Amino acid sequence: MASRLISAMGLDASIAHRFSARNILTAKDALCRTELELMELLDVPLDVVLLAISCISKKSCPPCHTILSVLKERMKNEPQLGHLPTLLGPLDQALCGGIPFGVITELVGPAGIGKTQFCLMLTVLAVMPDPFGGLNGSVIYFDTEQRFTSQRMVEIAQHKFPNILFTEAMIKQLAARVFVIVPTSVTELLDSLQKIQATIIEHHVKLLVIDSVASLTLSEQSVTRQELLGRQASALKFLAESFRIPVIVTNQARAMSTALSCQGVLHSVPVSDAHEGIDLQLRAALGTKWAHAVNIRLIFEYSEGRRWIRIGKSPVSAAVAIPFFLTATGLEHDENEIPSATEKDVMTIYGFGGL
Amino acid sequence: MPPLAALALPSLSPELLSFFATHGIVSVEDFLIRDIYQLPGLRAADSDKLRKAVTEVLAFLENGHASWRNGWDLFNNLEHNIRFLPTGYDSLDSLLQGGLREGTVTELVGASSCGKTQLCMQVSAHVAVRFGAMVAYIDTSNSFSSERLEQMLNDLLNSQREVEKTGAFMQALKNIVCYRAFDVYSMLILLQKLNTSIENHSQKTHSGRLRLIVVDSVSSVISPILGGNISQGHTLMMSIGQILKKLAVDNSIAVLTTNHTVTGESGNFKPALGESWKSVPHVRLLLRREIADGIYVASLTKHSSQACTKEAAFSIGRSGLQANVNHE
Amino acid sequence: MDSLTLPLPSSLRSKLLEAGFANTSAFQHLTPLQLARDANISHQEALAILKTVSWMNCADQYSKEEDILSSAKTAWDLLCYEKSRKKLRTCCSELDTVLGGGFKPKELTEICGVPGVGKTQLGMQLSINVQIPSEFGGLGGQAVYIDTEGSFMVERALQMAESMIDYLKYATSSCESTVGLGMSLNVDTFLSHIFYYRVYDCTEQLAVVNSLEEFLKEHREVRLIVIDSVTFHFRQDFQDWALRTRLLNGMAQKLMGLAQKHDVVVVLVNQVTTKTNGEIVPALGESWSHTCTNRLILSWSNGCRQVHIFKSPSLPAATASFAVSADGIRDVESSKRIKLCTISSP
Repeated sequence: MASRLISAMGLDASIAHRFSARNILTAKDALCRTELELMELLDVPLDVVLLAISCISKKSCPPCHTILSVLKERMKNEPQLGHLPTLLGPLDQALCGGIPFGVITELVGPAGIGKTQFCLMLTVLAVMPDPFGGLNGSVIYFDTEQRFTSQRMVEIAQHKFPNILFTEAMIKQLAARVFVIVPTSVTELLDSLQKIQATIIEHHVKLLVIDSVASLTLSEQSVTRQELLGRQASALKFLAESFRIPVIVTNQARAMSTALSCQGVLHSVPVSDAHEGIDLQLRAALGTKWAHAVNIRLIFEYSEGRRWIRIGKSPVSAAVAIPFFLTATGLEHDENEIPSATEKDVMTIYGFGGL
Repeated sequence: MPPLAALALPSLSPELLSFFATHGIVSVEDFLIRDIYQLPGLRAADSDKLRKAVTEVLAFLENGHASWRNGWDLFNNLEHNIRFLPTGYDSLDSLLQGGLREGTVTELVGASSCGKTQLCMQVSAHVAVRFGAMVAYIDTSNSFSSERLEQMLNDLLNSQREVEKTGAFMQALKNIVCYRAFDVYSMLILLQKLNTSIENHSQKTHSGRLRLIVVDSVSSVISPILGGNISQGHTLMMSIGQILKKLAVDNSIAVLTTNHTVTGESGNFKPALGESWKSVPHVRLLLRREIADGIYVASLTKHSSQACTKEAAFSIGRSGLQANVNHE
Repeated sequence: MDSLTLPLPSSLRSKLLEAGFANTSAFQHLTPLQLARDANISHQEALAILKTVSWMNCADQYSKEEDILSSAKTAWDLLCYEKSRKKLRTCCSELDTVLGGGFKPKELTEICGVPGVGKTQLGMQLSINVQIPSEFGGLGGQAVYIDTEGSFMVERALQMAESMIDYLKYATSSCESTVGLGMSLNVDTFLSHIFYYRVYDCTEQLAVVNSLEEFLKEHREVRLIVIDSVTFHFRQDFQDWALRTRLLNGMAQKLMGLAQKHDVVVVLVNQVTTKTNGEIVPALGESWSHTCTNRLILSWSNGCRQVHIFKSPSLPAATASFAVSADGIRDVESSKRIKLCTISSP
């Protein structure tokens, strides 16, 4: 609402005229100036400025809800209170029902651990019709590394739902619900994010996947990278919340030199000392700013000879780790291993083999 | 120069004033530069009144300026009336030649959490206990904590007997008056009112007079308005500086202010209020905190009457400033 | 007062100076018409000036007192208040201890920390805890939650509220006189007393802060304001850093005024940033670090979440550990114990 016009805010005519004469047209123009600056620009006493500011603020202030009303709204409109179940029992439980709508969920991990498999699995779940526990919607899949294969997707679907007889027509119909976009640069990605609003509405898009967000961004100049990441995060958040859809992004893990282990103002960020004997030290790429921007971070890692999904960051739950293995159905919960509740730093990833 | 009407002189009757006004004479300045006897439409009967008015205006100007003082007076004043308010910590006092001097403005500059507020509260506690004097504490960032003050006072009063202690403790706390101001205009008004109050107050009681004003911090209220293309922020900052100086000099009060640091162009820290504010404080102390050793170091960067090379180190414990054993 | 410092635009100020009105005392007993004539300005301008002067006098809380030295609050008065005030507890007793009993009303507290360390969870827990009725030693208030990142999770708030109510019921079940009190609590009331703003850009953030004054006047029960986070939009929407600093400082000063006036706890969540030398520091730079009264830094240490009091005028530097359990923010060692309590209670 930053671009709301001041002229439409019902200010006193004389002061509204002064605003427009000084080319202060939107709420952003007015509020991103200090009161003293406005006083000089508009050439009116401060109390007049304060009155105008409070009026503009009131008009451009977002609506206030109580949490109860938000909750009631969700209960009414959304299945599972706004979650896409992953069908990995303990993970769904920890996330209060699955991948939540309206936020960015990030998957981080070393190559080959199963992030793309997880994305494909969620894609299947999103396109499946209601009776089978799906969202019965479309999926927009940004595939930056050309790893999306419809074949694997169909395979997952067939194994995941063995009771359903997948006819040729049905497979076609399901596959047609996935829109794959292959952007070649961050700017292109940002552009598409602006343009897909219509698609989302027309085709009932219920899931947005970016696999992976890192590969494009890491090729950008490091100067502009942080800024681009910020804009990307804002755009994704906006789409996720406006349409109440889950957004999945994947991120790489990169090897980290322990010399950078941080002994600064923030005390120690434990990197290596406590976990000796681990072959490889990995950290999530894209830095802290991006890590702040994602709402949920699922860390995929190798530990004790198994693959784990660890909830690294989430406002809904305590940190838990869930063992899994890769099968024809995508990811499957390893029932023999008990989920553990170890808390670890969100940036660090443990891995061996696989690389 | 003020408007003529504001002088409220008996000879300047409303008729005369409105007569002047028709000729564009409103302020005293207009009155002085115009030849008022030559004004058209002046009646002969009025010339007497006019002459009287001229004498009165001139007399007003004569008395209006501050009275002259010679060096001897100033020296005497220094000997008898101006004292140093010890900070309660010896090494800092010797750095400052005895403490905060009455009639001067002392400024503490330092990064976040380097002991500025602690020092302010420590000095307030010490002055309130040791001199039984009033302290005005102006808090602009909600950081004044009377619970912390209580801890410091308990330590200061430790040597006294239990019976006297409670009374002295309460009296000391009652000697410290607190004000809050969160924007520059309420700050200006507050200082102005303080000025009037002090003038009335000092006549009444001399024993518990106001001897210290603490402003923690000046930069909080000024940094939101400083910069951009607007010069008014600068004007307001200088007015605050002037009022603080006037308060200090006119009433022999020690003024203690704090100033933030910001990151400068080269990446080094510099005081938030820049070059022009530099002229306001008479004494400037730079505080820094050596996080590794847990010590605080104060160094003198400006002093109107001594060289600035020395440093003092201290640590901050439960009872306030303490000597630091590790540092020379 | 000097006319130069009046909150008037420069055009009017210079006209006043030309006419000799260098000091505001000269405005006493002047009518708009007289001023218009004497200063050679329009009637409207004269009226605006006189209004401004009287506005200045009314805007100030000490205006009515002639002698502000003897009428002001002394440190003794403040101590009596500070001793009697209730603090906002966190559900983690170790954290409460190092905070001297909890988060303090009338103060700005900043929470910084690496991603995923529990800043938002702490914010949500506080907005539940602020509603603990005064009979249970709580503040019995309401909360305003300003969410800039979209990370407030309704279902999590529901969980926290449920386990809080279970806990309160359990605490009262042993005593006859308070059973009814525990039974009267319900989740819907808890959730309806969190007022939630979702803010999509920095203009909206500034607008919300500007409108809070009015909101607090209408909702007098509000005792907590959380901004989560203060950083997100200001980190990307700005090219002019000096302007960003001014706006942020101005916003913080407004919040301080609100905190003081309405006796609320203000919690600002801040992100961290990695400096070029690999050091992790709170975002928004040096000038912002002065703004908040207290600064808490959340970090990881050997697989354990920690809070470090980095800056506080009244508390010594200290560190406490806390845990995030399914119930919310809890003590590290006792997180299991509290869980048992909630299960055994009806």
